[in-house]
Amino acid sequence: MLNSSLFQRTKCLDFCVASLLVLFSVAAQADNFKAFTADSFQEIKSSYEGEEFLLGLWSVDCPPCLVELEFMGKLLELNPNLPYVLVSTDPIEQREYSQEFLEDFGLTEMESWMFADSFVEKLRFSIDANWYGELPRSYFFDNEHEMKSHSGIISRELLSDWFSSSLKFQ
Amino acid sequence: MEGGVFKYKAINVIELISSYSKTAVAVFSILLLSTTAVSANECDTSAQGLTSVDCGATPSATFDQNGRLWLTYVQDQHVYVSHSDDFGESYSPSVVVNKIPEDAEHNGENRPKIIVDADSNIFVSWTKKTSPRFTGEIRFSRSTDGGDTFETPRTINDDELFTGHRFESLFLTESGHMYVTWVDKRDLEANIELGKDYAGAAVYYAVSSDQGQTFSQNYRVANNSCECCRIAIAPRGPENIAILWRQIFGVTTRDHAIAVLTPDGKTMEMGRASYDDWQIDACPHHGPSMVQSGKSGDYHMSWFTNGDLHQGIYYARYSFEKASPEDVYQVDGSAGAGHPYLAEYDQTLYLVWKAFDGQQSQISLIKSIDDGKSWSVSEILRSTSQGSDHPLIVNKDDGLFLSWHSDEHGYVFEKFAGRALGLSYVE
Repeated sequence: MLNSSLFQRTKCLDFCVASLLVLFSVAAQADNFKAFTADSFQEIKSSYEGEEFLLGLWSVDCPPCLVELEFMGKLLELNPNLPYVLVSTDPIEQREYSQEFLEDFGLTEMESWMFADSFVEKLRFSIDANWYGELPRSYFFDNEHEMKSHSGIISRELLSDWFSSSLKFQ
Repeated sequence: MEGGVFKYKAINVIELISSYSKTAVAVFSILLLSTTAVSANECDTSAQGLTSVDCGATPSATFDQNGRLWLTYVQDQHVYVSHSDDFGESYSPSVVVNKIPEDAEHNGENRPKIIVDADSNIFVSWTKKTSPRFTGEIRFSRSTDGGDTFETPRTINDDELFTGHRFESLFLTESGHMYVTWVDKRDLEANIELGKDYAGAAVYYAVSSDQGQTFSQNYRVANNSCECCRIAIAPRGPENIAILWRQIFGVTTRDHAIAVLTPDGKTMEMGRASYDDWQIDACPHHGPSMVQSGKSGDYHMSWFTNGDLHQGIYYARYSFEKASPEDVYQVDGSAGAGHPYLAEYDQTLYLVWKAFDGQQSQISLIKSIDDGKSWSVSEILRSTSQGSDHPLIVNKDDGLFLSWHSDEHGYVFEKFAGRALGLSYVE
């Protein structure tokens, strides 16, 4: 009897803990961010094999990046299938703060990554050995993954030039 | 966030080995292991409550006139001050500067600064991140009891606006005037109100002429500065200072400007200090370094650019009389190289910076014995295969010290130039 009661209580505890874990994991999944490590760039490229895509690097600590995010948010409203991957150079521990920014620009549904290693030099190098870390920074990959890069706010002209299909602009 | 390693004097290990049995050595080895290898992760988790420069972030350091090393760093929303009487072998318990936690910025371009004056007053400044975005306040505190306690922090920017006041620098002149300079967005706000465009931010400063008791009003130096780079300061005579900062020339060219500031709010001799033609509408997060030449009185400058004319880390010497940079020299053109820091000792100029070779970050050093006209080949002072802070140099009357924080090594404070360690220090 005693054993049975203990068992019941233990089961209950297990259930409660499990429920809490589920709740926590739901909370943790409140954003789209994935941890960007030294292998992530290759992973992103592999997922777009044979397809063109745009990679946008940004940080909450970069005022011009917000201008670009606003521009991209509007562009994506008109071109919802634009292949766009966001990488934040801020540490993933600050994901909630970064998420607020993406919410403002309607970009929460995009594929999104955040730097997840304090050895940022290695992460930067894994993307492009010739990138000095300035932001915003954009990379366009064509169907054969030929890379084109740009430092500073992305422009309508550049995007029109890069993408093979014509884009709608406001 | 950043981890560290506790230092252990090698001599103590030798003493232990010679005076204990093998068993005792084994026991001590275990004890030693438990106190030496504190990794970044251990700082984050198991060492909760442990406050130290190794477990903190973005330290700055300075020597007082008695040869005591003082440092400040950020940990868990507090700015701390600690000191060392043995050149960083061991540190005093840390004293908290801001009793109420606040979001003190701690990244390569934003770190607390520390100065100790001739009367042993300790001055600390930092940038407090506030809400909403990109906003901050310039904070200042001092200790008038030798570092036992610090006054309640004060805000130095006087506009009472929720806008950007960031990237502060602190400097004390020979005359005792203490300057605080920073990047300020009040003019951007004013122009937005008027519906006008305004590129970048502005540079502002304030001066204390009474050992930090009070500060002057805020003075504007220049409109349209870059909004995300630290400002370099060097003396210009006994009471004025020269400052070097990244400025927006024309619409998008982010090269460097230089000017002289006076204690009563005048900006003089403003000039263009670099011609790199970096046309970019972006944040480089990369401020310059500057020291005055003991030989010529001109200004040694080092900075990063990725312009049409120059790419990488550069050195040049600026003469206010000629109003132009001379002996422009590419220090390191490789991608990943950045964050140069200059110092002069015994008529030799030293320049350190951080580079990345694909696997490791390296702290490199070059020297010039002819006032920056020619340079030695580079040597590597330190390297790491983990995350690390920018390298800084701390001057002392008998040499120069590298001040550098990394996940792998903790806080490194070591002499790399000057007379041999220990020969000149008197307790």
